Amino acid sequence: MDWLKILENTVSSLVGIDAAYFALAALGLNIQFGYTGLLNFGQAAFMACGAYGIGMTAQYFDVSMWYGIPIALAFVVILSLLVGIPTLRLRADYLAIVTIATAEIVRLFVRSVRFKRFFGGSDGINSFSTQFRDLSPFDPSKQYGFRPFQYSGYTFWTLIVAWCLVGIFGFVVFYLMRSPWGRVLKAIREDEDAVRSLGKNVYSYKMQALVMGGVIGMFSGMVFALDRGSVQPDNYSRDVTFYVLTALVLGGVAKVSGSIVGPMIFWGLYVFSDNTLRELTRDGGISVFGVGLLQKSQVGPVNYMLIGIGLMLLMTFRPQGIFGNRKEMALDGR
Amino acid sequence: MQERKTFHAVLSCVKALVVLLAALFSVGASSSLVHAADSGLSIDISVFDQVVVNGTTERQPVPGVTVLVKTEAGVAVGEFVTGTGTGTVSVPVPEKAGYTVELVLSSLPSGMSLIDENKAIAVITKDAFTTSNKKVTFFTGSVGESGASAFERIAQRFADGVRLGLVIAMCSVGLSLIFGTTGLTNFAHGEMVAFGGLTMFLFNVTLGIPLLIAAPFVVAIGGLFGLAINGLVFAKLRNRGIGLVSQLVVSVGLSIMLRNIFLYQFGGRTKPFGDFSMQTAKSFGPVSMTPRDLTTAILSLIVLVAVALFLSRSRTGKAVRAVSDNPTLASSTGIDTQKIIRIVWFAGGALATLGGIFRGLDEQVGFDMGSKLIFLMFAGITLGGLGSAYGALIGGFFVGILVEMASLVVPAELKAAPALFILIVVLIVRPQGILGRKQRVG
Repeated sequence: MDWLKILENTVSSLVGIDAAYFALAALGLNIQFGYTGLLNFGQAAFMACGAYGIGMTAQYFDVSMWYGIPIALAFVVILSLLVGIPTLRLRADYLAIVTIATAEIVRLFVRSVRFKRFFGGSDGINSFSTQFRDLSPFDPSKQYGFRPFQYSGYTFWTLIVAWCLVGIFGFVVFYLMRSPWGRVLKAIREDEDAVRSLGKNVYSYKMQALVMGGVIGMFSGMVFALDRGSVQPDNYSRDVTFYVLTALVLGGVAKVSGSIVGPMIFWGLYVFSDNTLRELTRDGGISVFGVGLLQKSQVGPVNYMLIGIGLMLLMTFRPQGIFGNRKEMALDGR
Repeated sequence: MQERKTFHAVLSCVKALVVLLAALFSVGASSSLVHAADSGLSIDISVFDQVVVNGTTERQPVPGVTVLVKTEAGVAVGEFVTGTGTGTVSVPVPEKAGYTVELVLSSLPSGMSLIDENKAIAVITKDAFTTSNKKVTFFTGSVGESGASAFERIAQRFADGVRLGLVIAMCSVGLSLIFGTTGLTNFAHGEMVAFGGLTMFLFNVTLGIPLLIAAPFVVAIGGLFGLAINGLVFAKLRNRGIGLVSQLVVSVGLSIMLRNIFLYQFGGRTKPFGDFSMQTAKSFGPVSMTPRDLTTAILSLIVLVAVALFLSRSRTGKAVRAVSDNPTLASSTGIDTQKIIRIVWFAGGALATLGGIFRGLDEQVGFDMGSKLIFLMFAGITLGGLGSAYGALIGGFFVGILVEMASLVVPAELKAAPALFILIVVLIVRPQGILGRKQRVG
């Protein structure tokens, strides 16, 4: 057991790129789920909008990658309208059903052979991030930082951009939710009918919240795509949304700090569990009294199992997470 | 018409060329992974299209199909493309060892599909190399241009749709009744379906008990599984007074946990049951079906009629519907609501399990067989009316037919998309579904 290595990986994952793109996705999801009470189970689809927006622009239209941002915005708005128009007048669970279905269809759509010439099929789109790379002021061949926070030039650049985005959107969400607009959203979560009786157009506010959260999710997808330098359809499977949701609930719903610290702790725990189990199974599987308990190939499923258990326990015993306020988790509206 | 055929021919030529080029590049890229030294060993992979003409089966080679060859350890040997004229490609391999050959379904010419889509992966063991070359053959049946007439194609799709619809209906009755009686939208219901298929695999393949003998036990175990989920998780949540939206999120967590337990235990590959897995299709008029599929379809129909009769005639069934309609009112008339909820979870679990067994017979068993269905189940019960048992029967049946029929016009890989379309249209036009009561759902 190399405890030092495990510890090092865990600590560095707290501020790693995974935590950063999860934090962005969680900030978006927080506007919908935390503040407005909308069950968006298709955040992965909004992330895919961002990733494919920049990927497709750079690959197929022969223009700068940055034109991808308005294109991705258009995708997000179309997707929000598609899932929002039929469901936002209805009970909360309808949105959950439709978003989970839409996210799955979006993934099937972009990985299909029929539309391969647009989305690249199951291989996705690769090597489009040169423009972003060129902006980097750091030398890609050098190592920056100090252990355990040591990164190559490009990773360091992506990390800085990602955490700056987290900071910017953190402030935006923080102040938006203190604005009159944000107070209406919270009021919708608490009592939709009361808000309606005050003459507010609840439907429109919900749609705005859906788009706003989707846009932040879109930036999350972009950060992820730029870090990997590729867009792969299977990175946007429906479970990604649930992992983001788990991270958000862990940190605390309806809190900006929760949606940033939650993903950091989530990834810390995940990397710790993953590394520990991998170290344990490095020299063959673990077995107790001759019964094989854990093989190397089973480490992945066990990690995700723990995420599932974690989500259940959190929702049951501490729905407000670490930073949240229990009063703000009054998600009982039917 | 003539022009269309020419156009199709040109199109498929272009496609074949693109696939060939892509394969050439990928071969160049990946052949370095495993060096095929001159061992003289090879795997000869052929793809044939079976067309029935006047009662006799003719085989025609299919060129331009991509196959992936991997070693047992999963290291790619390369991607290859079947040749023009012969429909065959010979893949040199370095040693007598285990290999898997996967046919890339998406590279089949349009309108063609494998006769059995589950056989897209052929596993070659070390001992299979009796001579220096091992033959692997894939058979496709044209759904499109050659052979079957438009009527036959529609009839076949319809028959397949009925089978799928019956299974979806069976799985979703419990989902809808659980919603009706407790208000919970159970995202873990798909895992109950997978539980059925996997438990049957355990009995039938691991323990070697014949499927027909094991079936009643497995269904009973499935019912108990449903009871256990209710008792250990959701009854506790209800007692703690935890809101419905939180319960919904818990069911999502449960679904993730169960699915990964299945993956941990069962592995990622799909596997067939031991019994009834090898059968040839027989023709019934314009439709061809294996005796196994016909039997499961008839059995599903009998079960669904029995469920409908139970709900409409028996005292317990009436009580179930009463609780599903209005739990408070039902409880004030002296119905033991908690008991009814337990009955619903037991019956829902048992029916989902049976659906899982039928689905496993039809398609093979996999850890994610349920989560692939859950979205069709939701589309079905939304169409039928959330909370209504009859609605779930009708809605699930209709969604199954629509999804299969849709593959006549949309590519097979996107055939689930029309279900989303129904979902959206229903929610705009009639959000309470076909049989739902007109009430405020917002």
